[in-house]
Amino acid sequence: MSANENLEIQAREKAEVLTEDTRPGLLFKPDVDILEHPDAFVIFADLPGASEESVDIQLEKGVLTLDARVAESAGDHEPRYAEYREGGYHREFRISDEIDAAGVSAKMRDGVLELRLPKSAESRPRRIEVAAA
Amino acid sequence: MNPFLRHATRSPRPFPSLAREIQREMNHALRSFESGYHGPRGVYPPVNLSESAEGYVLTAELPGVSPEDIDVQIEGATVTLSGQRKVEYAAGDGVAVHRRERQSGNFRRAFELPAEIDLDKASARHKNGVLTLELPKSPAVQPRQIEIETR
Repeated sequence: MSANENLEIQAREKAEVLTEDTRPGLLFKPDVDILEHPDAFVIFADLPGASEESVDIQLEKGVLTLDARVAESAGDHEPRYAEYREGGYHREFRISDEIDAAGVSAKMRDGVLELRLPKSAESRPRRIEVAAA
Repeated sequence: MNPFLRHATRSPRPFPSLAREIQREMNHALRSFESGYHGPRGVYPPVNLSESAEGYVLTAELPGVSPEDIDVQIEGATVTLSGQRKVEYAAGDGVAVHRRERQSGNFRRAFELPAEIDLDKASARHKNGVLTLELPKSPAVQPRQIEIETR
């Protein structure tokens, strides 16, 4: 679909979020794609390591907050080498009033969250039929 | 000690500020010291490696990559990961893209582990966008307890 499909991907460091958080562990800002359809906004967020149950989404006072906790991988293995760090995710989005908060839905697949934020009926574009006189 | 250092690439800067360079190296060394964390090597996907007496566990963050788009090959002590990350959504008329941070494209990485892998017992799983390879060492290189006979 996209033109850059055959390019090599560049690995980037996860951006750390520095919050006034008393809970232990690291938090990262997830990469997102934000699309606007005529009837809804759709947000895709990369949350590797996060399960459906660990994701918490809040919409309050026009701010959509995305939180995910990731349990550190345990085991009797000794870490030898690391290119990425494990931690939770946190990102906030300012959302316009035109979102129908009750209709917000979310699903997870392969560590990617898909959030659908439907626009309220009044704010959807409408096509006005011109009647023949 | 570190099987992956040969993958380290650094963009050549003709006249780096020495002070900045030293600071950067120190920060880097400090972080590595704290957690074994080296940061991504520029090549996708970023991986972590851990080891036990029996084998290695290699994990890679591959969110949004479906298992059928990942190819894992093991030969001797060499593990090759390749595949494609597709970022697909129904684009079309009336769809505006406000942010595009998620990357798509091909990836390929090869790792040489310090010991040969037992191919028959190696396994892979993909969960929550993280690929985990369980790579048991071949029996020939595993430590063995030798019983001492008493007479």
